[in-house]
Amino acid sequence: MRPFRAMLNGHKFVEVSDVVRVFATPEGEVRALDGVSFDVQQGEFLSIVGPSGCGKSTLAMLIAGLMRPSAGLVAVGGRTVDRPQTSLGIVFQNPVLLAWRSALDNVLLQVEMRGLDVRQYRHSAMELLASVGLEGFEKRLPHELSGGMKQRVAICRALIHDPPLLLMDEPFGALDALTRDQMTLDIQGICARGSKTVLFITHSITEAVFLSDRIIVMTPRPGRIDGIIDVEMPRPRRLAVREGPAFAAYTRQIRDRFMARGVLRDIEDPSPLAPLGGFPSPLASPRGCGSPLTPPSPPGGEGAAGA
Amino acid sequence: MRWREWSPPAITILVTLVAWEAWVVGFRVREYLLPAPSGILAVLAAEWRYLALHTGVTVYEILWGFFLSIVVGIPLAIVIVYSPVLERAIYPLLVAAQSVPKIAIGPLLIVWAGLGIFPKVLVAFLIAFFPVVIDTVAGLRSVEPEMLHLARSMGASEWRVFLKIRLPNALPNIFAGLKVAVTLAVVGAIVGEFIQADRGLGYALLQASAMLNTKLAFASILILAGIGTVLFVIVDWIERLLIPWHASQRVETAAGTL
Ligand SMILES: Nc1ncnc2c1ncn2[C@@H]1O[C@H](COP(=O)(O)OP(=O)(O)O)[C@@H](O)[C@H]1O
Ligand SMILES: [Mg+2]
Repeated sequence: MRPFRAMLNGHKFVEVSDVVRVFATPEGEVRALDGVSFDVQQGEFLSIVGPSGCGKSTLAMLIAGLMRPSAGLVAVGGRTVDRPQTSLGIVFQNPVLLAWRSALDNVLLQVEMRGLDVRQYRHSAMELLASVGLEGFEKRLPHELSGGMKQRVAICRALIHDPPLLLMDEPFGALDALTRDQMTLDIQGICARGSKTVLFITHSITEAVFLSDRIIVMTPRPGRIDGIIDVEMPRPRRLAVREGPAFAAYTRQIRDRFMARGVLRDIEDPSPLAPLGGFPSPLASPRGCGSPLTPPSPPGGEGAAGA
Repeated sequence: MRWREWSPPAITILVTLVAWEAWVVGFRVREYLLPAPSGILAVLAAEWRYLALHTGVTVYEILWGFFLSIVVGIPLAIVIVYSPVLERAIYPLLVAAQSVPKIAIGPLLIVWAGLGIFPKVLVAFLIAFFPVVIDTVAGLRSVEPEMLHLARSMGASEWRVFLKIRLPNALPNIFAGLKVAVTLAVVGAIVGEFIQADRGLGYALLQASAMLNTKLAFASILILAGIGTVLFVIVDWIERLLIPWHASQRVETAAGTL
């Protein structure tokens, strides 16, 4: 596997060409993906952002070989994907841990299912868990772990066999904002260590910009590629880069695409809401009625009456 | 801590017995209508040899019926889960078999299976195995689809998936089914004995009632209740031993430590 990876370095590792995926449902055919083509370079961190239902998960399933395209081709490592791929790691939105296995044994499931020697991987599983802050939690059962910890275990399980490709489908979708931030940093650290190719699916523009080398923006259903954005910011990136002008420019670029497609709709005329010289106060401002965001508030309003 | 667990049922039973005794003594209820608990206990002590003999027979039938419901029910469930074709072939039969009142086919069972213990075992099995099949199927199917996707991405054989994911995942459901099954096996054995028997607690119960020996009938019923309870507790205990991670167990221990 290693010479193979070296050979591919800097080359296309994942190739998706003209992929169409149609689902037959009782209400008729649903076109989830419609003519999607892109490549992922060896060692690249590529994110896919798009609204719910635009076919992101479907795309991940196609690349993992867990689903067939209705038309088009998917290739990984130069080979057409026509069966479930095994040289990758997958992380889903839900950690899907086995309730009866400890954190460590959940990580080692990957090893056991492959019929590999568990003893050989024990040490690296412990190290991997420690590297994401789970030292001392190896023996805990999933119900004794927080949501963030469970997802960390799931990430370790996806990495223990050192796969060349990591697929993550909204891995932080079920976590609180603070945990998400920490996990984002952790993922950056993990991916900087090896030369992994990472496909990261998210609906968070911020996460995508923070982590990615490139970002694919998808249109609403049927999913098509709306644009591909190169993110050129030095690594490693600190959380503070999110407040910088370069970061803002990237997020704006993506947001503008979403707005152009009607995925995001800003309020019509923001001026009465944000008059020059500060934030509007609903109590101080006699105007401001009719704005969808400030409810009408009579002088000496409900706040005073209720107190 | 333990006291909190067993004291409510203990108190309930005690109060019921005292009230029952007081009722029978106070209102001079005739013994063949309703014997006093003390009278039933006395018969239990006096006739213990006779009762033990019949208890042994019935327990034997129950255990065989329960055992068969496991060794037939669980493999049947596995077949149903893994083969959609066989599922469609088996399910209607299963539901039809379940819908037939077992007492109705009792006389036929005697024709087919003779007069010995076997027809009673058969009735116990027929009544008990349905929940085992249904719950095992539900358990084997309750694996999250993402987990199955992961397993395939790990290149796991179907056998490994079954052994390491599906089966352990199904254990809570399987045990839920077994708990129902074990109590149904008790019912089944008695129903079998009611149809035709020359031994067993069902037989003893019929004989005692026919001779208006209500105390003996009550003693038999008491033993039957005891058998059902003990078997249930044993299955429950094995469940705790085998699947300590199961959520319902966790909730129980959490409540117990309050
Ligand atoms: N197995 C399926 N059967 C029918 N429709 C599906 C199936 N999987 C996905 N879809 C449909 O395809 C579209 C894309 O789904 P998905 O890939 O999950 O989107 P995303 O992950 O971007 O939210 C949705 O409209 C969804 O309803
Ligand atoms: Mg999705």
